[in-house]
Amino acid sequence: MPSQDALIAMLPEHLLLGGIVLLIVLEVMGRGSRVATWVALAAVCASAATAFWLSHAQFSAQPFSGQYSVTPALLMAKGALLALAVPVLLMSRSEFTDSEFSILLLSSLYGLCLLPSSDSYLVMFIGLELLAIPVYALVLLAYRRPQSAEASFKYLVLSGAASATFLMGVSLLYGATGSMSVDTFGAALAAGDTMTRAAVVLMVVALFLKSAIVPFHAWAPDTYEGASVPVTAYMATLTKGAVLLAAVRLFGTTTVTGPVAHMLMVLPLVSIVWGNLAAIRQQSFRRMIAYSSIAHAGYLFYAFLGNGSGRLQSVLFYILAYSVVNLMAFAAMPENGDDEQRDHFDSLRGLYHRNPFAAITIGVAMLSLAGLPPFPGFVGKFLIFKNVVAAGYTTYAVLGLVGSYIGIYFYLRVIQVMFMSERAAASTEVNTAFLSERRAGGTALAASVLCLAVTVLLSIVPGWVLAAL
Amino acid sequence: MSESLLLNLVLWLPIVGIGLLLLVPSTNDRLARWLTVGVMTAQLALTTVLYLGFDNSAAGLQFSTSIPWIPQWGVSYLIGLDGFNILLVALAAFLGPLVVLGAFLNIEKDVKLFHAMVLFLQFAMMGAFVSQDLFLFYLFWEAMLIPMFVIIGMWGGARRIYATVKFFLYTAFGSILMLAALIYLVHSLNQSSGVTSFAFTDLYRAQLPLSVQTTLLAAFALSFAIKVPMVPLHTWLPDAHVEAPTAGSVILAGVLLKMGTYGFMKLGFPLFPDAARAFTPALMTLAVVSIVYGACLALVQNDIKKIIAYSSISHLGYVMLGLLSLELVGIQGAIIQMVSHGLVAAGLFFLVGMIYERCHTRELSAYGGLARMLPVYSLFFMIFTLASVGLPTTSGFTGEFLALLGAFTAAWPLHLAGDNYPLILAAVAVSGVVLGALYMLRFALTFLFGAANAPHQPLSDLSLRERSILGVLVVSIFALGLFPNSALQKTELAALRYKELVTTSRLPMSAP
Repeated sequence: MPSQDALIAMLPEHLLLGGIVLLIVLEVMGRGSRVATWVALAAVCASAATAFWLSHAQFSAQPFSGQYSVTPALLMAKGALLALAVPVLLMSRSEFTDSEFSILLLSSLYGLCLLPSSDSYLVMFIGLELLAIPVYALVLLAYRRPQSAEASFKYLVLSGAASATFLMGVSLLYGATGSMSVDTFGAALAAGDTMTRAAVVLMVVALFLKSAIVPFHAWAPDTYEGASVPVTAYMATLTKGAVLLAAVRLFGTTTVTGPVAHMLMVLPLVSIVWGNLAAIRQQSFRRMIAYSSIAHAGYLFYAFLGNGSGRLQSVLFYILAYSVVNLMAFAAMPENGDDEQRDHFDSLRGLYHRNPFAAITIGVAMLSLAGLPPFPGFVGKFLIFKNVVAAGYTTYAVLGLVGSYIGIYFYLRVIQVMFMSERAAASTEVNTAFLSERRAGGTALAASVLCLAVTVLLSIVPGWVLAAL
Repeated sequence: MSESLLLNLVLWLPIVGIGLLLLVPSTNDRLARWLTVGVMTAQLALTTVLYLGFDNSAAGLQFSTSIPWIPQWGVSYLIGLDGFNILLVALAAFLGPLVVLGAFLNIEKDVKLFHAMVLFLQFAMMGAFVSQDLFLFYLFWEAMLIPMFVIIGMWGGARRIYATVKFFLYTAFGSILMLAALIYLVHSLNQSSGVTSFAFTDLYRAQLPLSVQTTLLAAFALSFAIKVPMVPLHTWLPDAHVEAPTAGSVILAGVLLKMGTYGFMKLGFPLFPDAARAFTPALMTLAVVSIVYGACLALVQNDIKKIIAYSSISHLGYVMLGLLSLELVGIQGAIIQMVSHGLVAAGLFFLVGMIYERCHTRELSAYGGLARMLPVYSLFFMIFTLASVGLPTTSGFTGEFLALLGAFTAAWPLHLAGDNYPLILAAVAVSGVVLGALYMLRFALTFLFGAANAPHQPLSDLSLRERSILGVLVVSIFALGLFPNSALQKTELAALRYKELVTTSRLPMSAP
């Protein structure tokens, strides 16, 4: 029965929607601020658990034929990304107690859930917009700082441009094939006529814009810097992951050849190299993470060079490994009354001597982002480069690895600042900043502990996780 | 107790130790120190059981464990002992407790973290030695960098940040190329034979054309040569040694540098035998240049730590020479030389650290006539100097002599066939022995004899703790020097296997 299918297949989305409605009702009743985070948390957990459960039960359905479908693998991907939203909510507790944050975040997650399941460009477009529009507001929520408005506006314009580019591509493709089904994209990749090729290029550029691949990356550092810590964490991990899942849905299992393959080789490589190079001279933690995320987007798009069958698995594992440690680092960042001070590297100076747990957690996160074993970032990187080599692009694999080597330097610098600077070395100006520094709140601590547990799990049994994905 | 459990216990004991350290209150430095000594001693005791139980006549792995880890990629948790690693495992376990004991006085801040890092380093080094799976090996190989980076960076000297970042970036560069090479190697094994595996024994069967072998060997060799280090990739070593705390220097010289030569012996040459044989003259030249150049640099240093650092470069050149000779005696000499250098360099770095704790300077010109002021110290110093020079009856002699013998044995037939180059190289390598005597005796002469001169007077002679550390090392040096047979027997089968692997061609049968 189709209606029953629609109920069960979209149960994760329905639970998110239920959460949004409940939050709005509570807000209207004036009780929102106290329980907002917990309601949102319950909705996200329930939604993720449902996705995992459906995936485990091998559930697959097409409730809206030609528009929306789910398979166990897609449900697993949804569940994993939704689970990543848990630490974001936990760490937001100390900055946002109102329900706006939770409502916006759940709305954005709703869009995220649509993306991997979309069968038509229409649903995919709705998903992309629903993913991005709440984030404009989320960036602006840190309105204490003037940069937030600029950051939000920049993101609005760039994301709007990406949507326009995407729509243009879709309309060209529709003109050529007369179909709105995403399956036409795979065939279009190999097509030789100008219109189809232009459509493919436009759509790939839109994905590049959304995931900040050089040369479409310039918005990322400014936006990340202007947003508050939980929102930056959300954008760097979940938004990026969702866009990549949309890309996986578009590319399907087609082996990429021809001119698009060149695009997928060269621009990600440039991203890796430039992202890692530019990160070296950053003085702000969030700008550094922004450039690091540009480099990581490069690795992620490398996954599309490889054999189509393992694509979802590689991308998903990499997103998981990358996001968990990124969220862990953000959750462990020492709190500071002044958001800008909190962001500056000086606030990390000698952190080990003040808060060893936070310093060790951030240190592990940096090493994992640098792709050093035994941390999960290494396994993710290995998986992607293994596929690139298997696909025959050995030169690009070597260049990409050398590019990733450049990154090691600035990740090490964070560790060096935290562990190897003396307590007394901090300037007096910064010392006053320390006075207003509080230990990370209980919920943020819970978030970092949670992420650390997942990181350890991913390091010890990567084989088990890979088999599950 | 089942045999494989024992080796797992040896490997994972340091991690258990870190877990226990977490429970120690951060104010109780004494407990943290003794706990670490206890863990290291327990590891040594278990390793002794392994060493005694090791069957010299059994080919293949002993005490091995094999558990599929990432089955999709053919990665397994495969560890085991063989003639290649048994002596190095013993060396690492032997130096473990001494390193911790030696750091009792000079590590005063963040004591818990220091010991956790030493234990983690011990775990990673043991893991790299015992792993028999390339993925696992790479994991441990890279994991070693992190604790060493922290040890030098947090407890090092004035320029510690520069030194530790240089150390990390140098070694990580080699590793990243090795990673690319190993991905390619496993991929081509899969293409040619359909086997998806990272196990060394499977990789030893990979058949690759010469050009591919050469490229892959270059990547592996770069990584290993940086670690050894071989001239011209050695410049990180003096900086790292000079800035590292004594414990860091001892581990670095004692065990970490052996990773490079072990890598050549276990992976580099046996995986790509045809390329290795084609490049033997070039690599041999580098080894000899390392011997002579390292010795020359040691001759002109005024920093006492640098003298020993450069002497390490020179001494490890003999190991490479022995490995490249492909003669049984040379290969065995190389293994003995690795262990011997581990013991002697560790002792010398301990001695330098002890005098630095007392006088707070490393300038050679600031010292003189210590023999009269510190008789016990000077006696130990003389013994280690002579062992470093390679005086017969010490382990240094056995290692260098056998390695050189191997080089000459290999060079002679070539000489008769008209190729004089290897013989010339071997002859030049002998001059390294003379240079070695020269720089070590210059060091000892200025240091111990002449007009009495020390920056901090009066000096107290060695304490019981320091005497026992050095005493144990001296006993082991003489034991290895006087009775090398036990060690040689343990390595004989491995040396034969190594020779067989490197001399058997593995070019594809149907070469295009």
